[in-house]
Amino acid sequence: MAVSQLREGTPFRLRASGLAGTVGALIGAGGQGAAYHASIGGKPFVLKWYHPHVLEADTRLPGRIARAVERGSPDPRFLWPIDLVEVSGREGLGHLMALRPPRFRGLRDLIAAPPARIDPPLVVRARTCLSLAESFLHLHAKGLCYQDINFGAVFIEPSSGEICICDNDNVDVNGAPASVYGTKKFMAPEIVRGERMPDAGTDLYSMAVMFFYVLHAWHPLEGRAEYEVALMDAEEEMRLYGTQPRFMFDPADASNGPVAGFHDAIVRRWRSLSEGVRRLFVQAFTAGLRPGPAGRVIETQWRAALARMADSILACPACGYEHALDAEDADPDPRRFACVACGAEVPLPPRLLLGRDAVVLCQGAQLHAHHLDPARPFVYGEPLARVEAHPADPAVTGLRNLTADTWTSRLPDGTGAAVPPGRTIRLVDGLEVDFGRRRGTVAAGQSPTR
Amino acid sequence: MTLPDIETAGLSHRQLNFFLVVDCSGSMAGDKMASLNYALRAALPAMREAAADNPETRVMVRVLRFSTGAAWHVEPTPVEAVEWGDLQADGETHMGAALSLLAGALTPEGMPGRQLPPVVVLVSDGQPTDTFEDGLARLMASPYGRKAIRIAIAIGADADLDVLTRFIGHPEFRPLQAHNAESLVNRIKWATTAPVRSVSTPVTGATPMERLAQEAPAAPPPADAMVW
Repeated sequence: MAVSQLREGTPFRLRASGLAGTVGALIGAGGQGAAYHASIGGKPFVLKWYHPHVLEADTRLPGRIARAVERGSPDPRFLWPIDLVEVSGREGLGHLMALRPPRFRGLRDLIAAPPARIDPPLVVRARTCLSLAESFLHLHAKGLCYQDINFGAVFIEPSSGEICICDNDNVDVNGAPASVYGTKKFMAPEIVRGERMPDAGTDLYSMAVMFFYVLHAWHPLEGRAEYEVALMDAEEEMRLYGTQPRFMFDPADASNGPVAGFHDAIVRRWRSLSEGVRRLFVQAFTAGLRPGPAGRVIETQWRAALARMADSILACPACGYEHALDAEDADPDPRRFACVACGAEVPLPPRLLLGRDAVVLCQGAQLHAHHLDPARPFVYGEPLARVEAHPADPAVTGLRNLTADTWTSRLPDGTGAAVPPGRTIRLVDGLEVDFGRRRGTVAAGQSPTR
Repeated sequence: MTLPDIETAGLSHRQLNFFLVVDCSGSMAGDKMASLNYALRAALPAMREAAADNPETRVMVRVLRFSTGAAWHVEPTPVEAVEWGDLQADGETHMGAALSLLAGALTPEGMPGRQLPPVVVLVSDGQPTDTFEDGLARLMASPYGRKAIRIAIAIGADADLDVLTRFIGHPEFRPLQAHNAESLVNRIKWATTAPVRSVSTPVTGATPMERLAQEAPAAPPPADAMVW
C-alpha cells in the first residue's frame, strides 16, 4: 500500500480547470484511498488519492467523480468533489475537495467512549437530523443516490448541529450500477440479504438508522435478539440485520424488545421523543424494513416531525433530562408531565403558538426564520428572537427582538406596545406578537409568568 | 443550554479481542526481536486510532509469547491502556503449546460478554519444535477459535509457511512475509489495524476474510533480500 502514497511536495494538476497545486501532509488513509492536505495558489484544500486496487475494482469511479464535478453540489453541506486530480508521470487518480473546518467533529463521536464523546443537547440532535434530512432531500431531488450513508461520512458542529457530509465518491444517478454495498448496520435488509444494490430507497433506510443513532446513540435493531448473541459472526449478522430484522420498539412484536437493566437509557430516550418522531421510526423499522415506497420514510416527513420536536423540548427541573412536550407519558391535558428519567413533575413551560405549531419558550430558546417567516421554512441560521430573563428579576422572562424590524404586540385587554430591535417583550398569557410576516400568541406555562 | 443528556449506564458495546501470539525462540534473538519490539510499539498508536474510528467496538489486547513453553505477556487490556514491555528471545519454538494456551482463552468464559469474532495474529520465524498438530486441533475445536480471524506473519526465510498457512486455514489468505525490518513494521501495522477497521468500512461484497486477503500487503521481495 505504501507505493500508492503521494510524497509531500508532489505537484499535481486539476483535470477540468487545468490549475496546478502541491500535495501537502498526509491526513489519513481509509479503505478507498488516502487524504492529503493540498495547496492551490496558497489556498488550502484536501486531496483524496485513490488506492490502485480501488480504481481497478471500481472502474466507474473516474466517470462518477467527473460527472459529480460537472454537476456541482446539490447542497452546500456536501463536501463535494471540486475537480479530478492527476499527477504527471503517475498512474492513478484523485479528487480535490474543500477543507472541513476544524470546528466539526465526527458524528461517530456521539457514541465514542469519553473523553472523545460529544453529548449535545436533544434539540441539537434533532437539528442535526433535520439538517441531514434536508441535505439528502436535495441530493435525492436531483435524481442522485448516496449509496453509503453511514457515521463515518458525517461531521457535526456540536453546539449548533450544523453538519457537513464527506465521502461523496459513491454518489451516482439513482439506478446506476452501485459501486458499494454500504456500511455494516446501515445497509437496508434487502442489501444485507444480497437481493438488491443501493438506491435512493435504501438511502432512506440508512438515513433512518443514522437518525436513530443520533438521538439514542444506539442501533434500532439491537434489542434482546442482539443482546443474546454472544459472538456476532457473519451468520448472526445476516439474521439480525438481513433475514430477521426487528425493531427494538416494534409495537406489534416484542421479540427484539429492550432488556431491562441493559437498554434502560435507550428506553428513556425513546419515551422522551415526540409522538411524531416515534411514529416515523416505527414506520421506518417495521414496514420500512421491506423495500418499496410504502414503508420507507421520506425526508419531508422527517423534516416536519423533527422541526416540530426541536421546538417542543424542555428539561426536567429536577434532573435536567430533556423531553419533547408530547413524550410518551405526557398527559394530553397537557398540564401534567412526569420526567421519564426521575419521575419528577415537569411544569409546562410557556409556549408560543404559531398557527398549528408551538414553540416551547424555555430560557435560551431561539426563534429563527423557520418560525417567523412562512416563506423560509426550515431555515435556521442566525436567531431572530431569544427568550431571556429580566436583568433585575430572573423569574420574569421575555422575548428579545434580534431582528432589524419593530414588532407590535397586543395584550388580551387590547393594550399594546411596540418592540423595537434589541428590546424585549415580557411573556404573559394571551400576549399576541406580530413579527411582521407571522403572528404568534403566548400560552402561559404551568407556573404562570408574572 | 447544555444539560446532562444520554447517559449510557449499564450499556456496553461489543468487544473485539485481539490476540498477538509471538515467537520468542532463540532464533529471534538480536536484531529480529529488537525489530519486532519496535514494530509493535509503533503499531500501538495506529491500532488505537483504528479502534477510535470504531466507537461501537471496545478493543481488548492480549499478547502470548512462546519459546520453551508459552505464557501470557499481556493479560486482557483495553487498547488505550496497553503499554508495550519488550519481549526477550531464548529457547525452543513451542508453537503447539501457544495454540493450546490460546484455545483455552477462545471460549465464552475466556471472553465474557458480547463479542465480535476475535482476531489472532501469529508471528513466527521458524518451525515448531513441539507438537504443532495438537495445538492447532485444540484451537480449531475451541468455541471461538474456528470463528477467529487468523492472520500469520512469517519473519525471514526460515519461517514454516506450511504451518502458518494451516493455522490461517483460508484458501485465499496466505501468511504475510516480512524479510526486513521495514516490511515487518508494515506487516505488523497492517495486521493490527486492518481487522479493527474492517468492522466499520464499506462492504464490497466479499466475506471479511476475503476482503482482508484482497487488502493484505503485496507480495514480499525474494528471500535473499532479507536484511537484518
